[in-house]
Amino acid sequence: MTNNTAVCPRLTGRPSGKVMGMKETNGLAKVRARSTAIAATVFLLPTVLLMIVYMVYPIIDTFIISVYKWNGISSDRIFIGLQNWQTLVTDSQFWTAFSHNVIVMVCSIVLQIPIGMLLATFLDATGKKTNLFKVVWFFPYLMSSVAIAFLFTYALATNGGMVSALASIFTGKKTAVDLLGSNPQALYTVIGVMAWQFTPFYMVYFIAGYGNIDTSIYEAAVIDGATRKQYLFKIAIPLLKPIFKTACTMSLIGSLKYFDLIWNLTGGGPNGGTELMATYMYKLSFNQFNMGYGSCVAAGMFILITAIALLFQKIFVVKEDY
Amino acid sequence: MKRKLLALLLAMSMVVGAFAGCSGDSGKSSSTADTSTSSTTDESGDTASDADTSSDAEAGNTSDANIPELTSDPLTIVLWDISTEDPHKSMMEGAVARFTEAYPNITVEQLHQQNDNYKQQLIVAMSSGQCPDMYMHWGGGPMNEYYESGFVNDLTEMYNTYDHPDFIEAAIAQASYNDMILAIPYGGLSGCDFFYNKSIFAEVGVEVPETIEELEAVCDKLLEAGYTPFSLANSPGWTGSMYYMYLVARHSGNDEFNAAYTQEGSFTSDAFIYAGEKIQDWVQKGYFVEGVNSLSPDDSQDLALMYDGTCAMMLHGSWVTSNMQTDNAEWYSENIGVFRFPEDSEAAAAGVPQDVEVGTAIGNGLSFNCWNDDGSVDQTKLDAGYVLATQYINDDIYNQQQIDRITIPSIEGFDTAVEDPNMQVVAEVFFNASNVQLWYDQYLPANVTEVHKDCMNALYALEITPEEIGQKHDAAMQEYLNG
Repeated sequence: MTNNTAVCPRLTGRPSGKVMGMKETNGLAKVRARSTAIAATVFLLPTVLLMIVYMVYPIIDTFIISVYKWNGISSDRIFIGLQNWQTLVTDSQFWTAFSHNVIVMVCSIVLQIPIGMLLATFLDATGKKTNLFKVVWFFPYLMSSVAIAFLFTYALATNGGMVSALASIFTGKKTAVDLLGSNPQALYTVIGVMAWQFTPFYMVYFIAGYGNIDTSIYEAAVIDGATRKQYLFKIAIPLLKPIFKTACTMSLIGSLKYFDLIWNLTGGGPNGGTELMATYMYKLSFNQFNMGYGSCVAAGMFILITAIALLFQKIFVVKEDY
Repeated sequence: MKRKLLALLLAMSMVVGAFAGCSGDSGKSSSTADTSTSSTTDESGDTASDADTSSDAEAGNTSDANIPELTSDPLTIVLWDISTEDPHKSMMEGAVARFTEAYPNITVEQLHQQNDNYKQQLIVAMSSGQCPDMYMHWGGGPMNEYYESGFVNDLTEMYNTYDHPDFIEAAIAQASYNDMILAIPYGGLSGCDFFYNKSIFAEVGVEVPETIEELEAVCDKLLEAGYTPFSLANSPGWTGSMYYMYLVARHSGNDEFNAAYTQEGSFTSDAFIYAGEKIQDWVQKGYFVEGVNSLSPDDSQDLALMYDGTCAMMLHGSWVTSNMQTDNAEWYSENIGVFRFPEDSEAAAAGVPQDVEVGTAIGNGLSFNCWNDDGSVDQTKLDAGYVLATQYINDDIYNQQQIDRITIPSIEGFDTAVEDPNMQVVAEVFFNASNVQLWYDQYLPANVTEVHKDCMNALYALEITPEEIGQKHDAAMQEYLNG
């Protein structure tokens, strides 16, 4: 039996306590290193290949297409150098879309994360008594964006939608509250719907964060005479700081690349009032037969989002002291 | 350092996710879209369709027809359409089944794509060398773009040589580009007219208006009686465009639009300014329901306003009759009437034709992408596709099925075939029109279409002046014309 366990790792390349404890020869160490390298390659290869095919290649191709004039279907691509990029720099529609993205980003971080945090704190503090809330509040995140868009098209319709109906009750006469159909409120309405959709995600994220705080910390705080409030503000929330930063980064990137809900809810309208970089890119590429410039917008998005995400990381994550 | 690197990598991969999402979108939509394939051969023909496949004598009638002789070798044709649901699905599959029964060596692979993503799917297929042999479209700017990119066979010679249904002139005009016939129409025409609630009109005591002045008088009376005159769901912009197109057409016929299209004229000319000002005047007077831009026709929110008696009429494509019948046939037959867009009496006095119709004569078009590897036309396949499109789709059975669902085929002689009294009016107006103006959002080049739809939102929201609308259209049109 002892023999078996000693031989097995050598054959399979797996380390075991027994082998680690034994004095190894140089040859054995080499064999182990090689087999580890082979195993790593075997395990990583599919992922790396998939990433190359579905991520690296499309990105490189996007940049390549961005220097062509191409309608997306023709076999003729005309090389035009940096002409698309010059257009992009001065394209007011793109920069308006970008500014909408920035508004969405700021509002998302300001709305979704604090509310998610509050809900999580409430659920954490109340324990099992409020499990029902946990489930109900999580529902919006489980719905697909298309379904949410459909739901809110009705809820916000001026014709008998929930909001207009409520307004009619309060004002005592038929009142149409036009939230999606005119600017600038359409953008803020969409931001509200996005918050409704994504706040539950951050709620669960923070609940997990609370769950990761060791109970011994709580017990130690109680023994030291900390009140519940002190524990929350001086111990629990500071311990959640790394989670905050990750949540902010996710929200930031998510907001900058957002597409599906807006596309289904407003299609970027009315009159471009909710146009985001992604919807603009999609319209150019697939509706306007302008794949070359659409790719340029996609590449521009890539650069902007990466830059903003890196800047954010530099400012906040580097200072991480936890 | 490691932590920093990890954070950086994670951030990068999330950004990358955005683009993987983009590139994957097409793939995703093709797999998640409710697409259903049916490969119909003579063996599977029976199961492929619920439609009547037995009455072969009525179908096609190809025995003494002047049609190309088709190959007796095995041949497969890939056909894309948007008939995902019945009755369209069984109509198309029925036609294909009749075809494969007559030509058992030919297999037709039908792929029914979801309407919503169809144009995008087609672009992805074309760009990746997967363009189907036969595919449907709506004519206009996109069809021209497909042709320019080499995905459409020129059918002019075949059309002039062989038999085909006697399509109305307007349908062939909308299936043509630079004097070449590029598509075979099918799916039936749609006129654009006012559908009004007869009961409300009777209650308020107003008659069907003949002129725009009369229409305004009717609207004022309706408003006084507490009704909103026009129901409109303008979130996609093309619905609001119907009023704009008609006002332009009544004020100037087709002249100003045609001149603006070539930019020999301008979208800021009289008729366009007149149309924009008129609509904004109507918005201010409260003729339109509030919040038009937040309402969606896809969710029938405009119809809902007709059903609940809030609004008295709506300007819309004639397919709406079919929708209303499906929703509530009894209410429809009791309440709904139809009248053509009233005349501009001043323009009429100046000799401007008042019988231009807005709508689609082509309905849907079937174009062909049949080429050999060396770039020459794959005539064998093209012949088969032509016979399928002209002799089986568009045959008597197919056309009867169209009429049964209150759609008028774009073929001469069908103007009196429908029984629905409203559709009889639609047909009469349509068949007597001097010209059929295809919807701007289909007729204009794709980049101008986007501008147009945005402008139509802004027009009804009073966020833009008619002059600015014209200038934006001109700029986009110039951009298109200058390549």
